[in-house]
Parts: sequence; C-alpha cells; structure tokens
Amino acid sequence: MSRALKGGVFKGMLLFSLAVGFLMLAILVVTVLKDGLPYLDLALLTNPPSSDPEIAGARPAILATLYMGVLLLLFVVPIGVGTAVYLEEYADKSRWYNRLLEINIQNLAAVPSIVYGILGLAFLVRGIGLGRVLLAGAMILTLLVLPTVIIAAREAIRAVPDSIRQGGYALGATQWQVLSRQVLPAAIPGIATGSILALSRAIGETAPLIMIGAVTYISFDPSILGPFTALPIQIYSYLRLPQEEFKLLAAASIVVLLGILLILNSFAIFIRNRYRRTW
Amino acid sequence: MTMRISFQEQLDELEALLRHEGDLVLRSLRAAVEAVCSQDTELAEEVIAFDDDIDAQYFEVEQGIELLLARQTPVASDLRLVLAMLKDNLHLERMGDLCVTIAKLTKLTQGLPPDDTLLTGFREMGERAEQMIRVAVDSLESRDQELAESLLDLDELIDRANRRVVNRLLEIGGDQETREWGLRMILVSRCLERIGDHAVDVGEQTAYLVTGEFREFTDASH
Amino acid sequence: MTMPMPQIELQPTRGHDFVPREPVFEIRDLSVSYGGNVAIRGVGLDVYEQAVTAFIGPSGCGKSTLIRCLDRMNDLVPGAKVEGDVLYHGKDLYGADVDPVEVRRRIGMVFQKPNPFPKSIYDNVAFGPRVLGMKGDLDGRVEQALRRAALWEEVSDRLTESALGLSGGQQQRLCIARCLAVEPDVILMDEPASALDPISTTRIEDLMHELKRDYTIVIVTHNMQQAARVADMTAFFSVEVDEATAKRTGVLVEYDRTAKIFTTPADKRTEDYVTGRFG
Repeated sequence: MSRALKGGVFKGMLLFSLAVGFLMLAILVVTVLKDGLPYLDLALLTNPPSSDPEIAGARPAILATLYMGVLLLLFVVPIGVGTAVYLEEYADKSRWYNRLLEINIQNLAAVPSIVYGILGLAFLVRGIGLGRVLLAGAMILTLLVLPTVIIAAREAIRAVPDSIRQGGYALGATQWQVLSRQVLPAAIPGIATGSILALSRAIGETAPLIMIGAVTYISFDPSILGPFTALPIQIYSYLRLPQEEFKLLAAASIVVLLGILLILNSFAIFIRNRYRRTW
Repeated sequence: MTMRISFQEQLDELEALLRHEGDLVLRSLRAAVEAVCSQDTELAEEVIAFDDDIDAQYFEVEQGIELLLARQTPVASDLRLVLAMLKDNLHLERMGDLCVTIAKLTKLTQGLPPDDTLLTGFREMGERAEQMIRVAVDSLESRDQELAESLLDLDELIDRANRRVVNRLLEIGGDQETREWGLRMILVSRCLERIGDHAVDVGEQTAYLVTGEFREFTDASH
Repeated sequence: MTMPMPQIELQPTRGHDFVPREPVFEIRDLSVSYGGNVAIRGVGLDVYEQAVTAFIGPSGCGKSTLIRCLDRMNDLVPGAKVEGDVLYHGKDLYGADVDPVEVRRRIGMVFQKPNPFPKSIYDNVAFGPRVLGMKGDLDGRVEQALRRAALWEEVSDRLTESALGLSGGQQQRLCIARCLAVEPDVILMDEPASALDPISTTRIEDLMHELKRDYTIVIVTHNMQQAARVADMTAFFSVEVDEATAKRTGVLVEYDRTAKIFTTPADKRTEDYVTGRFG
C-alpha cells in the first residue's frame, strides 16, 4: 500500500470515529428537540408541577438546580483553589502527608457519585442532623466535584511559568504578594474554566441527590434549608408518569437542562479564549 | 544611534595620544634643527632629555592598543585603524630617536667650523621634514588618502636636498676639522632624510586604513 | 630657548587601570550544594562598588549558583545549602536576623530570558514600588526607571499596552527598569544578553557602562568577549572533577582586573579558557 493511500485510510478512519460520535449526539439532540420544543413554553419555566400536564411546570426543580449551582460555586472555588495553592506553592512535596494528600485527591476523582450520596446520607443528613435539605445537596455535590476543581486549579497554577515568580521574588515581593498579584491572576482563566465545567457536571447528577433524599414531587419553591428536588430528578419523575404529555414535558425539561449546560459551557469557553495568553 | 560608547571613547583617546606624540616629535625636530644650525649644545641636551617624554607617550599608546585589542576585539575599519596606529606609533618614536641622533651629532661637532650653505640647506630640509610630519599626522586624522600620497612628492624634495648636501660636502673638502664636521653633517642629513621616509610610512598606513590594502607608495628602486 | 607648548589637550582619564573602591560584597570560603552535590566551593573574592564585575567560565562551573547567593535567590531552591560567609556592606547576608525579602529589594536581579509580567508596561515597572509600599509619585518613579534603562523614548506613548508586545531587547530593558524602580544598591545580571540579538546586546552593554556610575553591577556571562568589553574586574571559574566520584565542582581560579585577565592572566587555566583553547 502506498504511503499516500495509507495516510488517506488513516484519515478516513479518524473521520469515521468523529462521525459516529457526532451522529450519536445529533440523534439525541434532534429527538429531544423534536419532542420537547413544542412543549417548551413559559409555563414550563414558571409553573410548579401538577397532575394536569397543561399547566405543569418545572419551576421548583429549575430553581433548586440554580440555587445548588450557586452554593456549589461558593463552596468549591475557595476550597478547591485554596487546596491547589497549598499543594503547589506551599507544600514540601517530599513530606509524606503531602504525598498522601495528593494520592487521595487523585482517587477521589474516580469514586462513583453514588458513594458520595451514601456519604452525604450518613454524615450530613443523619450524622449532623442537617436533614434532607438543599444545603446538604449542595454540599454533596461540592465534594463530588472538588477533586476536579483542585486538579484544574493546580494545572492552571502550574501553567504560570516559574520565571514570573522568580521575577517577582527578585524584586523583593513576599510569597503571598507574588501569589496574589501574579500567579493567581494569571491562573484565573484556568480556574474559572475548571469550576464551570465542574458545575456543569454537578448539575446533571442525580444519584447522590436521590440518596440524600431529594423528593420527586414538590410544588412550592425550594429554600436552602428545606426539601428540594433537582431538574434531572424532575425529568425522571415526569418520564415515569403514564400520560404521554408528561413524557413530552420531560423532553422539554431536558431541553431546558441542555440549554443551561450549553450556556455554562459556552461561558467557560468564552473565558478561556478571552484570557488565553501566550508566554 | 551611537553604540559601543566606551569603545569609541577609547579609540578617540588613542588617536589624541598619537596626535600629541606627533606634536612632541615636531617640537623635538624643530629644536634639533635649530641646535644644529646655531650650534647650540644646550638646546641639543634639551632635545636628548625630551626624548623621554616621547618614549613615555610611545609606551602609553602601545599599552592602550594592547588593551584595546584584548578587550574590544575590533574588526574591519576599527581593526585597520588600530593596526595603523600601532605602526604610526613606532614611526613617530623612531623620528624622535632620529632627532636625538641629530642632537648628539650637534654636541660632537661643537666648536668645529660650519658651512653656511649647508646650514641653510639643513634649515630647508628641517622645514620640509616638519611639513611632512604634519601632513602625515593630518592625513591620518582626516583619513585623507590623497593627502597621504602627496607625501611622496615632498619626500622627493628631501631626497634631492640630501643629495645636494653630499655634493656640497664633496666641494668643500678643506682641512681636517672641516672634513670632520662635514662627515658628521652627512649623518645629520641622513637623519633628516630618514625622518622623511618615516613620514611617508605613516602616510602609507593612512592609505591602508582607507583602502584596506597594504601597499608601498613606491618601490625600492626609487 | 624654551620648548613651545603642545597644541592639544591630553585626555585626563585612561580606563586602563581600574582602581577598586570600597567592597560591596566580601565573599569568604563560600560553598553551595544542592541535595548533597557541591556545585561550587571555596570561593573568596570582593565585589567592588560602582564597577562591573564579571563571572566567566565554562558551563557547570557554578557562576550562576554564585550570583544567586548574592541576593539569596538560592533560598527558593529546595535542598540548597550555603556555607561560608557573604558580607554585604560588612553585614552577614545570611544572618539570622536578615530578611531575604529586604535583601532582594536592595540587590536586584535580571535574568537570562526576559521575564516581563503579563501586564502593561506601566504595571510591570510599578509592581516593585507597589509591593514594597514605596511612597511618593509612582508615575515619576516609573518614568525615571524607564529613562535610566534607556527605554522611555520607545514606550512613553504606550505605557498601558502589554509588555509582552515588546521585542526581546526591549523586554530585557523593561526588566532592568523594573529592577531600577525599587532603587537597588546592586544589580545582578545572570547572562542578561545571551537571549538577545547583537544590537540589543550592545545596547545592554552600553547601558551597563552608564549604570555602573550609580550602581554596583555583577554579571554572569558565558561570552568572554562581553566580559572583556564591559567588566572592570573579572573572575574566572572552572570545573574540577573528583577522580574518585566523577563529581563536578566549580572553583574560583583567578580574579583580577579585566585588563590583566585578558592580556597576561596568571593562571594557565585562565589563559586556556580566554584564548579558547580549552572549554
């Protein structure tokens, strides 16, 4: 087989793989849109669920998802960035406890999400008696995505060239000054991107929330220390109802969920591109 | 925008030192010729002592060039300038030594009867030699190749004057004292003629600096 | 008859014989090791004020290690150990009560690869005064520093633009300006021009010639012609290989006026190195 031909075959195989993945996604999206778009109206967004599909909405679920998202960011960013800063800038890597910390973080990223659910149930809901509340859900999701954020933040901090730090130190800046004025500002894009991607993942999580007691039917607006549901759970519960209309409502809710995810990810890409810099 | 400031300063300094050395040589020459023509032994002594100044200048320029070559690694026209200065330094120092020789001969001929025609001839040669030194040094300063080449004609005049001196001495003849004086004076004339040759050599260095070619202005048969 | 006076004036200074002034650094029996390997040992020399001192030698001879001892940048390298004495204006630089941050304010450093911060030109130069809390007219400080680094003319109309948009030579002069802005006493330069083109190199060398009037300058260079051109004093270092362990250690071979090193060096190793006969 000639070299050019081999090159062509290889390229063909790559395109095929791309096509397969893309096709799957396209089928999914198109199906959902076909079913859901007609049912996507303001009522879906503003009404609470009801047994009447005409007026049923997903408002509590949407609000709960949004609240949890905000809480998640408030928790995960400081803890994640703080840990990353400690590990990258302050920790003596030869010490055993720092190495143990590193190993733990790597492993935590691989733990199945339902395990976090069990953890939350045992320690948060029952252990400290928080109860089956939205706050507990947010905290569980924080733990779930924390390793990802830490890793992303570490990468971002590591990507800042050491020459920048050296330049700062050589001028008489303290370690904290170099960090706060040079390293972290330069790492913000990476940290932001990582955080938003973590958020997108968390929004789609269902199992851990069910474990700690998210309800499937809630008709009033959620509060932080009250019972709650989430959009994926709402979708699931609609799907289980017999009426055909509810299935279509579920499709519409999926569209809403996808929309939220799309917005979040676009924002992440926007930040990444806007603040990308070449050294 | 000017760059390599300290290098340029060092080059300028060396050129200034060389010019100063040229001035010292001129003073020495003028005094030596005056000493011969007025048979002034005191002045001759001063000329001999003054050569120390010329030698001091010579060493300073030598050292300066050594350092410049070691530290600045000049190339192209800078290199040619430095090499030209190196050789000119030597020529100027030799001219100074020749003035000393003239002064010493003056001392040796103290009391001997002079010949006025010859003395006039020496004054003339002396002036010609002075002119040649000035032209040579100026040609280096202004990097003027034509000016440098004009030295050839001036040298021709000195050479002719030298031959006239020899002929005149053959005419005089006379008693032993006069002949002794005459013999010494041939050497004086020779010194003046050699000073002229050194001036031509300086001119050749200027031509080298400008053109980059080593070239004698004339061949040895001349 | 008196001799007529000469027509021209003789230049007063010669620059052949450098006359050392007060020592700024007194280094005595200095050795540095990284994790057990001795990089350089037994160094003893004085660095004089308002002069340029150059460290030259083959790679691995420890000259960069040595210069980094002078502003305690070696403190930032884990596992680095410094033994011996470095006196700065008579005081022990490594004394227990000495703050390395204060040391680096007074002893600035310019690095081999220009490392401007990813900020504006103004913010780069202003960084030092800001982190050190220097009072007074910041704009004035920035302008003066840029003027002293021979960069003001080229950037005065674009101070708010990113420093990364400058050419290599300009960036290095910016780093020098940054260093000058904190009003140091000493400027250390670790191969400042090795990443630059010849014209930028000459500009930096001319700059050193000017700066040495007000600052003490120490440079490390692997280009010995550069040392010959700019330095008043030159120290030549070489590598000694331990026959038993094959470990390489840097040692000081000769330290003298540059004029002497490059015309009549005392040690054969120096002669071999500067004539290029032996690396």
